[in-house]
Amino acid sequence: MAGADTMDVLGVTLRVAAGSTALLALPALALGWLLARREFAGKSVLETLVALPLVLPPTAIGYLLLELFARRGPLGSERLGFDPGVLFTARGATLASALVSLPLAVRTARVAFEGVDPRLERMGQSLGLSTRAVFTRITLPLARRGLLAALLLGFSRALGEFGATVIVAGNIPGRTQTLALAIFSDIQLGDTRGALRLVGLCVVFAFASVFVVERLLRRAESRS
Amino acid sequence: MSARRFALRLRAPLAGFELDVTLESSARHLGLFGPSGAGKTTLLELVAGWRTPREGRIELDGELLFDSARGVSLPVRARGLGYVPQEGLLFPHLDVCANLAAGLGRARSRLGDPRALFERVCAVLELGALLERFPATLSGGERQRVALGRALCSGPDALLLDEPLAGLDLALRRRILPYLVRTAEEFVLPMLYVSHDPRELAILCDEVVRLERGRVTAQGPPADVFAAVWRAEALEGAPENVLRGTVSASSADVAQVALTPAIELSVSAAGLAPGARVVLGIAADEILVATARPVGLSARNVLAARVLALDGSRPGVVLRAVLEPDGPSLDVLLTRASTEALGLAPGGALFLVLKSNSVRVLSVLGG
Repeated sequence: MAGADTMDVLGVTLRVAAGSTALLALPALALGWLLARREFAGKSVLETLVALPLVLPPTAIGYLLLELFARRGPLGSERLGFDPGVLFTARGATLASALVSLPLAVRTARVAFEGVDPRLERMGQSLGLSTRAVFTRITLPLARRGLLAALLLGFSRALGEFGATVIVAGNIPGRTQTLALAIFSDIQLGDTRGALRLVGLCVVFAFASVFVVERLLRRAESRS
Repeated sequence: MSARRFALRLRAPLAGFELDVTLESSARHLGLFGPSGAGKTTLLELVAGWRTPREGRIELDGELLFDSARGVSLPVRARGLGYVPQEGLLFPHLDVCANLAAGLGRARSRLGDPRALFERVCAVLELGALLERFPATLSGGERQRVALGRALCSGPDALLLDEPLAGLDLALRRRILPYLVRTAEEFVLPMLYVSHDPRELAILCDEVVRLERGRVTAQGPPADVFAAVWRAEALEGAPENVLRGTVSASSADVAQVALTPAIELSVSAAGLAPGARVVLGIAADEILVATARPVGLSARNVLAARVLALDGSRPGVVLRAVLEPDGPSLDVLLTRASTEALGLAPGGALFLVLKSNSVRVLSVLGG
């Protein structure tokens, strides 16, 4: 029985983390590029806003989401006319994880873009390439490793998300119960062996992803 | 009168002073030299559009690229220029072939099928063997050739070259220089060439401009400007004459080089193939002057010439003489005493005497 539970927890965790990474990928790359390459009014405000989830208690973020999607909230079913299906669902866990993971991914993506020599981009323009071609043929491939690391860091952060998820999505076994939540439940229930097994899994995941991120970033650095 | 190729009027802030350049030239190959920090690279970047001048106007070969008064500023990608910055800036993630092809899109829209251009660039710069290599594995000289080739492959209207030979050792410079000369001859493009090497500029450029602290302080044919600089700055040594010629015959250690069909120089050099085009350097203080044709000399070269001008503003006298008939001119460094003793004056006939050892082969351009 415990084995099947573990598989459930693992499945939910990976689905939520993967979904959260997919959700934050585009915004993280876009924000990272914007902060690395453009000067605009309000840039430091945007920088701060993006970093906010890093310092706010995750429970606070979870509570904000809860209010936002509550039945009578600004994005609630009464206002929208349909149920967005966020509260107490895997979708909610995904959204919460994405929001909490965003700052890490944006920071890493920004550093990756900043590592691309802007003179190489200008050279692309001098050769007649359009802005888009410069981005897809020069900037993106040169920043590739750093961007991959950004997504992987976002994924890793989502794997361990607890505070925001528990408030928005609850702790429903088989639906929203991720590793972090299952460990909490096991400890509450006094199942130390179950908790230890899950902690072991967490360590394996965390080690693997941080190891790969470090390698990616090191190679990205040696190249520029 | 030939077309006005370069017309620049630029003001832009530089570290500590202001770039303030007004420059017009009808030269096809215009050289830019001056001390480091004078604003040469900045000038190229302004023309390329990598920087924006505070005010001014940039016209190249009749095309207006920038005019602050009329609010014209072509975006970088629309300027149609082949810019080769000092560091080459090859794309590190692309192999040589993909680097060369990066600007082919523009070449295609301008020329139709750019394949012929690509092949020609590869042939002229001998890039065929490098196509699959990555920039990190190239030597300094190879990198510069690829950077130049990439600029040419984009089908530019003009070339902007920033010290393409800087950072290369002397032997390598001598090997790369012919590629530049060939490029200048094969692809008939206006060229703005930055260098601090008078020889390079004398070989490549029709006209040179001296830039100091952001201003043009001299402009004219290379020999004139360099002679003036040499006088004004009390430089060591003597000005060097740079001449071009074609090898007409060669033996084990001596080659005959025709400067014109009627004027030949004997040069001590081994292994020059007849038909090869060469660039020769002759220091101004290694030329002797005689008012009558000397006989019984070991020196192999006795050339008829006429005095064009004498300049005695430095301790020595620089005599500018033109080889007869219809040859190039040479600067000769003499002492004031011998100038007076020989009674040299503009218009007077004289003979220039040169040992074949004094003529250095600066560059072999190929047949």
